[in-house]
Amino acid sequence: MSTQTFVLPDVGEGLTEAEIVTWKVAPGDAVQVNDVLVEIETAKSLVELPSPFTGTVSETLVEEGVTVAVGTPIVTIEAAPSSAPSAAAPVSGMHGSGAGESPSVTPEAGAEGGGAVLVGYGTGGAATSRRRKPAERPVTASVGVIAKPPIRKLARDLGVDLAAVTPSGEAGEVTREDVVKHASQASVFRNIETPDWPEVREETIAVAPAAASASPAPNGVASPFAQAAGRVESIPVKGVRKATSTAMVQSAYSAPHVSVWTDVDATRTMELVKRLKASPDFADVKISPLLIMARAVIWAVRRTPMVNAAWVDGDGGAQISVRHYVNLGIAAATPRGLLVPNIKDAQDLNMRELARALEKLTLTAREGKTTPADQQGGTITITNIGVFGMDAGTPIINPGESGIVAMGTIRQKPWVVDGEVRPRYVTTVSGSFDHRVIDGDGMSRFIADVASILEEPALLLD
Amino acid sequence: MTTVSTSTNQAAAATAATVSGPMPLGRALNAGMRQALATNDRVLLMGEDIGRLGGVFRVTEGLQAEFGEQRVLDTPLAESGIVGTAIGLALAGFRPVCEIQFDGFVFPAFDQITSQLAKMTNRLEGAVPMPVVIRIPYGGHIGAIEHHQESPEAYFTHTPGLRVVSPATAGDAYWMIQEAIASNDPVIFLEPKSAYWHKGEVDTTAPALPLHASRVVRRGTDVTLVGHGAMVGTLLQAAALAESEGTSCEVVDLRSLSPVDYGPILDSVRRTGRMVYAQEAPGFTSLGSEIAATVTERAFFSLEAPVLRVSAFDTPFPPAKLEGTYLPDADRILEAVDRALTY
Amino acid sequence: MTQPEEPELVRILAADGSLAPNPAAEPYLDLVNGLADSDLETLYRDMVVIRAIDRQATSLQRQGQLALWPPSLGQEAAQVGSARAARSQDHLFPSYREHVVTRIRGVDPIGIIKLMRGLSHGGWDPTDPANGNTHIYTLVLGAQTLHATGYGMGLVFDGRCGTGDLERDEAVIVYYGDGASSQGDVHEAMVFAASYRTPEVFFLQNNQWAISVPVATQSRTPLVRRGEGYGMPSIRIDGNDVLASYAVTRRALDEARSGEGPRAIEAMTYRIGAHTTSDDPTKYRTSEEEQSWAQRDPIARMRAFLENRGAPFTLFDEVDAEAAAAADDLRVRTNELGGLERDSMFAHVYTDPHPLMDEQRRWLAEYEASFEGGTR
Repeated sequence: MSTQTFVLPDVGEGLTEAEIVTWKVAPGDAVQVNDVLVEIETAKSLVELPSPFTGTVSETLVEEGVTVAVGTPIVTIEAAPSSAPSAAAPVSGMHGSGAGESPSVTPEAGAEGGGAVLVGYGTGGAATSRRRKPAERPVTASVGVIAKPPIRKLARDLGVDLAAVTPSGEAGEVTREDVVKHASQASVFRNIETPDWPEVREETIAVAPAAASASPAPNGVASPFAQAAGRVESIPVKGVRKATSTAMVQSAYSAPHVSVWTDVDATRTMELVKRLKASPDFADVKISPLLIMARAVIWAVRRTPMVNAAWVDGDGGAQISVRHYVNLGIAAATPRGLLVPNIKDAQDLNMRELARALEKLTLTAREGKTTPADQQGGTITITNIGVFGMDAGTPIINPGESGIVAMGTIRQKPWVVDGEVRPRYVTTVSGSFDHRVIDGDGMSRFIADVASILEEPALLLD
Repeated sequence: MTTVSTSTNQAAAATAATVSGPMPLGRALNAGMRQALATNDRVLLMGEDIGRLGGVFRVTEGLQAEFGEQRVLDTPLAESGIVGTAIGLALAGFRPVCEIQFDGFVFPAFDQITSQLAKMTNRLEGAVPMPVVIRIPYGGHIGAIEHHQESPEAYFTHTPGLRVVSPATAGDAYWMIQEAIASNDPVIFLEPKSAYWHKGEVDTTAPALPLHASRVVRRGTDVTLVGHGAMVGTLLQAAALAESEGTSCEVVDLRSLSPVDYGPILDSVRRTGRMVYAQEAPGFTSLGSEIAATVTERAFFSLEAPVLRVSAFDTPFPPAKLEGTYLPDADRILEAVDRALTY
Repeated sequence: MTQPEEPELVRILAADGSLAPNPAAEPYLDLVNGLADSDLETLYRDMVVIRAIDRQATSLQRQGQLALWPPSLGQEAAQVGSARAARSQDHLFPSYREHVVTRIRGVDPIGIIKLMRGLSHGGWDPTDPANGNTHIYTLVLGAQTLHATGYGMGLVFDGRCGTGDLERDEAVIVYYGDGASSQGDVHEAMVFAASYRTPEVFFLQNNQWAISVPVATQSRTPLVRRGEGYGMPSIRIDGNDVLASYAVTRRALDEARSGEGPRAIEAMTYRIGAHTTSDDPTKYRTSEEEQSWAQRDPIARMRAFLENRGAPFTLFDEVDAEAAAAADDLRVRTNELGGLERDSMFAHVYTDPHPLMDEQRRWLAEYEASFEGGTR
């Protein structure tokens, strides 16, 4: 036996309430299925309600003369469960106005509810939303701005806040040119968290322990200032920092460095990257512009092999060792410091394999697991300063190599295409070269070749 | 009267061989129905005056003589009766093709079409299909009296369970009527009566497109013009005039009003950035309004101008002397093109 | 209720159950005499069981298990007699109150429950042989008469009638009421039926009321005269006399199926209950009227008839028990009914694939999946 509750049904296709007129049973009475329990009065008629259960009446819950809403429990019966309707809610109320499976809220019951609503409409009663989270409201104040849909999209793609753009259109609308012009200026100032000036005026970093045999600084300057106790931080130079500084000095002060650079429209590279990312064949590897840059460098080396050479001092005089393989170094900023692991025989790798190798190299470096062997034997290096937002640089050549290419940031800038100023993905390709090994024409041609691949990756089909 | 031909396949072959060259749209419909009658003996035609007279537009001419009175029925004058008994025939396994004599007379059959035919298969939970075609000559430009020039397409496109199509050319008419008859769903087949006598090429070897496909009929770069039925011809006129003024218009024949094949339309709008929908029907809550809203939603970022609609005014179809003012013509379309270009 | 020049009606069983055929009934007596005791008991059983089921269904509505129930109380004889008169190869087109007609043909009453509970717009498959060629209910008044006539036209075109073989020739019977008889579709259905000589019987149950509107408002002439106007033989019967209902319908169907064209029958009966559970007859008719018809109850008269013939008392107890069991079985099965799959609404809108259905079904699935805790 279990206690079953009988709620007031909608007996007339959309009725919302009824008055309990006469109870035909009392608590303690035995009832069979379909015995009349109560007489009710609706807006349409006087109706008898038969019992859905066989059992004993427990309690009548509403007094005679009282009007209650459809769905209100009116009587409980101790019933044999087999006679009870299923747990699915009764059908009544389905045809009511939007009541669903719960009783519709009468105006008296739900009088509160915010928001100004015209008299007569009511507040609709309380409702809840099951949505996971409300839509993210775009943080732009561009609602009041007049602009055509393609311009709005352009602004969004370029990261331009339409409200900040001065409109020049005849109807007061923001035009394409307005947005493009704004975009090219916007990236000048970055929202960088610049730290306050430290309280201490100077900081001294000791370069080597007292007995270090590293070459002295050219001007022999030792730490000029005494350390003020407690206000200066001293970092001993060890490990990677030491190796890096050693290499940098060796390279910078043995190889005469010359840097050249050029700007190029890299839109097609960006499109290629997008397509590769979407391709099922490359679904499991990381694709980035660096991958294209790596292929570009390898290709350009074939055309200007001297950049892939090394100046070798020897007893019988210097020699230039031209390598006909590419161990491509990738300068990596790691938790340990600057490392330059290289991909061995990168010229033999196809696109997928190269992508894999780059991915592996990066992960290994990030985990701090790059081995000395990984860093030995490099023939040419790429340093990606673009990730830091830099366009170009004058990098220092990795010792044992003759050239280093700096990959700049790729961003949309105004560019002239078919005689029109259009936003395109523009980047700077720069590099430093050892002028003992290669002259201006060679290094320029090399940089130009790398740039030409970024401009037209199809040249790789050569 | 002749009996039904016993060698129906022979007749079909003979029929196909003789159909060629440019022919009026009405003739193409006739040829298409003949093919359907010859190849499937469950197909039957029914309507007022379609048998002995061959239809008031002669679209069914000769078919009763060829196939007999039990395949081509002259019915009593009762539109609800025509559609209601067609439903009963479909329940008995036939594929009825009803003719409603004029657009304005479809309304007595409205309950049987919308409450019964459109919902019967759904009500039966799929147990019995309703392969019923209702052919309706529609549209204006023939100077007729009241009720003979209506464009009631929106009532039917708004009814779930119905398919609605309208051929604009003889070639499409020949194949679309056959495809509609072959469809297992109810099809409202709207025939542009002002084009019944327009001639066009009919390729009887194979249909060019599926029934519910739209089609670009003129390439252009500046504005996309879309319409259905007789309006397609008017759009082409407008496009030719626009060309002479230096504006290149692309024209799309909708062909299927429900479901709509948005692919070619969206592709076009993404290239041109501007669209005009033209229709003979009054504009308020019309098919053109639905298409404009959907194109705006799906091609939003390509739109240089809002999607514009050119429609008849929201009045009852006026006395025929005013139909030239009432119905959209090339100038009304060009006015919208001009407006679209000012954005 | 009586008018001058009232057409004759066929009556075989008097209201008190005595066998008292009137002159109009003479041509049909051979059909009645051909009924075995078991056939007569079946007619009685059919009526008693459906009345119990009907009452239970009304209770279910009052218990909140159905949105609506249109009772067939009082019309059992008209429906049982005509349904039993139909042959197994015949096609039946009900309106929405012919519960016992569908049951006799094999339709499980749970199908009607599903319709009234919001689980279906149909409730059964007319092409399933188990359902005895019974079409689903039609809720638009009179619309089914055209569907039935169209079906009959199909039988004519396919040569499935008119051969003279009563066991093979098929016929159609369509049910409608006095209210529906005013609808244009009924008129058109009779026009087409006569024009194409369909093997069809138009069975009109004149239960005297169309919700609250009395039949006198529907027609200023006895409804049986309508059929004559269209050129079809028309008979009026005492619709509360199951034997008259059986015999007249049997003859009408056999004549129709044999190629003699459509027939019309007006069954004079009474809607004892309300139009539906939403209706309140106390607002428009008198209890005196209801009482007068209660004295012509179809079940009571058949019981009296069987008693007079010497049926064993146990028969009536058995039938009552069977009726109670059938009603309770329906109650239990109704309470066990589940819900509907949300996307079932897209399944049968079209027979052929349709892009909008696919699109909206997908959208609904994604929408529901986006909620906290997944779908409802």
